[in-house]
Amino acid sequence: MSDKRPVNLDLGTFKHPLISMISIGHRISGVILFVGLVFLFCLFDTSLEGPAEFASAQALLQEDFLSQFIVWGLLSSLGFHFSAGMKHLVMDLGHGEELETANNAAKFVVGLTLVLAVLAGVWVW
Amino acid sequence: MLTVSVYRYHPELDEKPYMQDFQVDTGGKDLMVLDVLNLLKVQDSGLAYRRSCREGVCGSDGMNINGTNGLACITPLSACVKNNKLILRPLPALPVIRDLVIDMDQFYKQYEKVKPFLLNDTPAPAIERLQSPEEREKLDGLYECILCACCSTACPSFWWNPDKFIGPSGLLQAYRFLADSRDTATEERLADLDDPFSVFRCHGIMNCVTVCPKGLNPTKAIGHIRNMLLTRAT
Repeated sequence: MSDKRPVNLDLGTFKHPLISMISIGHRISGVILFVGLVFLFCLFDTSLEGPAEFASAQALLQEDFLSQFIVWGLLSSLGFHFSAGMKHLVMDLGHGEELETANNAAKFVVGLTLVLAVLAGVWVW
Repeated sequence: MLTVSVYRYHPELDEKPYMQDFQVDTGGKDLMVLDVLNLLKVQDSGLAYRRSCREGVCGSDGMNINGTNGLACITPLSACVKNNKLILRPLPALPVIRDLVIDMDQFYKQYEKVKPFLLNDTPAPAIERLQSPEEREKLDGLYECILCACCSTACPSFWWNPDKFIGPSGLLQAYRFLADSRDTATEERLADLDDPFSVFRCHGIMNCVTVCPKGLNPTKAIGHIRNMLLTRAT
């Protein structure tokens, strides 16, 4: 007889409602933002070293696709993190705790993030 | 024919759990998942699951049905089957005793912690403790819980801290007694809950509200407890 009982915790087999995806996404985007700061600090540091370095940092942001993509990714993460965070704050104030309202709020967060991501793309490119 | 994939584990025969497929003839009827389980039991009498009232009152047959927790007896096939396939797994995060039967110890321990009974230190009246209709109304949406564990086992916060986070079910009951006009132990109850884990591990994921077969709202109850704790601290 096996003395260790198994536990059903195979996350891939569960359905994850949109509200819960927003919640975990809020954390993931937070981690992305934190890690992404390293890139922004490096870029900032380079730009402060002198006029030539400033120009090269500027060129990176204007011509290098990878840098632009990272900046766009960070801005989009910020957009999502901000809107999902606002949803959490509003919920903490006791609003939108009904399932239907929370579902609509979750959809709104997704929509707002898409709009912000497009706007960020327009601004970066 | 409906394909039913069931989580199987026999503690004396199996090293690890596995999924077993069955073919079931539903006769084209929209059966409840529990009816399908009973048909499986005819094919394999060794299949283990809990059931009792078969009408969503006792809360015995909570399980993970096609990825969502629910009561087998009140979940019709039409509400869960996709592509003619039904997948039945035990409720998540609690140890499996056999097949779909889980060990609910941890869940009941959290329930015990909230002292789910009236505490009143005033002398008992001759007949009964009266409540106004308004006071009684505050318990609606709280007292109906049947402790099926669908909510707590759907909660990621409970998955990672089943020993420290009370979980949606326990907290709904905690608020049921905090909100009761006949209970005089509000202060002690709040003091017991005032730590970083018991209540504050709730992150508003709302899986509990999504799955509750009785349509209750633990997230809202937890919000009320949180407000009471904050008011008490200031």
